[in-house]
Amino acid sequence: MPRFLFSDFPLGNSAGRPFDVASQAETLELGLQLLERAPAARTTMQSPLRWSADASWKLDYLDLAKLTPEKISERRREFDVVKAVAKTKREAS
Amino acid sequence: MTTTAPETKTVFAAEHDVPIPYMQRTRDYYRALGFSPYRWAHFVDVPFTPLRTPLTRARVALITTAAPFQPEVGDQGPGAPYNAAAKFYKVYSVPAESMPDLRISHVGYDRLHTSAEDIGTYLPLARLKEAVAAGRIGALGPRLHGAPTNRSQRVTIEIDNPELLRRCREDGVDAAVLVPS
Repeated sequence: MPRFLFSDFPLGNSAGRPFDVASQAETLELGLQLLERAPAARTTMQSPLRWSADASWKLDYLDLAKLTPEKISERRREFDVVKAVAKTKREAS
Repeated sequence: MTTTAPETKTVFAAEHDVPIPYMQRTRDYYRALGFSPYRWAHFVDVPFTPLRTPLTRARVALITTAAPFQPEVGDQGPGAPYNAAAKFYKVYSVPAESMPDLRISHVGYDRLHTSAEDIGTYLPLARLKEAVAAGRIGALGPRLHGAPTNRSQRVTIEIDNPELLRRCREDGVDAAVLVPS
């Protein structure tokens, strides 16, 4: 990766906070500064913006501790369905 | 959730208040589901080209992993469950002039803590246009380009990426901003 701006927000918000133009503009500006000033490949910047004062949302991402064995089996079945749908779509493309 | 460093008044952030170790969590999760570990692509050598044109005169491309809305493939709205039928497998381009209807129901975003209700969270097209109007960027490319989130690394590396590069060159852009969703 030549340059990378990391935004420590829940996945889906790489361009900034929902309905918050200032947050989105600041995120873009940091990316543009990186484009202008990065001295070498792999230059990574972490956005200073915070999603919320309480960081406990970060514990939830793919948290296995919250899943029972039954729930894990259910997730596996769901994922197999999703993969089959994606495969059909890919082969038709 | 914060703690105080021993024998000082320095307040530390909570222990989990660090960037989420996405690769490790993903690896552990899919192993628990019974899959063999995913091998991420990474490289010893990474190309780097400094921006040679001042940004105020540069033409910039936007590349997105968001998908064009397809009315026939089910729920793609805010908070929609993962929708594999909404995926796309060929590079696409749409005019940058108007605001395209692009969604992210086809990727694994954080559905617990966000809902993809505002396109500005994953497609900074409006913000880029404001940056052009403010003179921060010279211009946008005439089209924005869609990068497929194909699980085949071969297809991404050998087919999709060269096609994206070809289209960026065709548009005469000086730089590309890739915004994954």
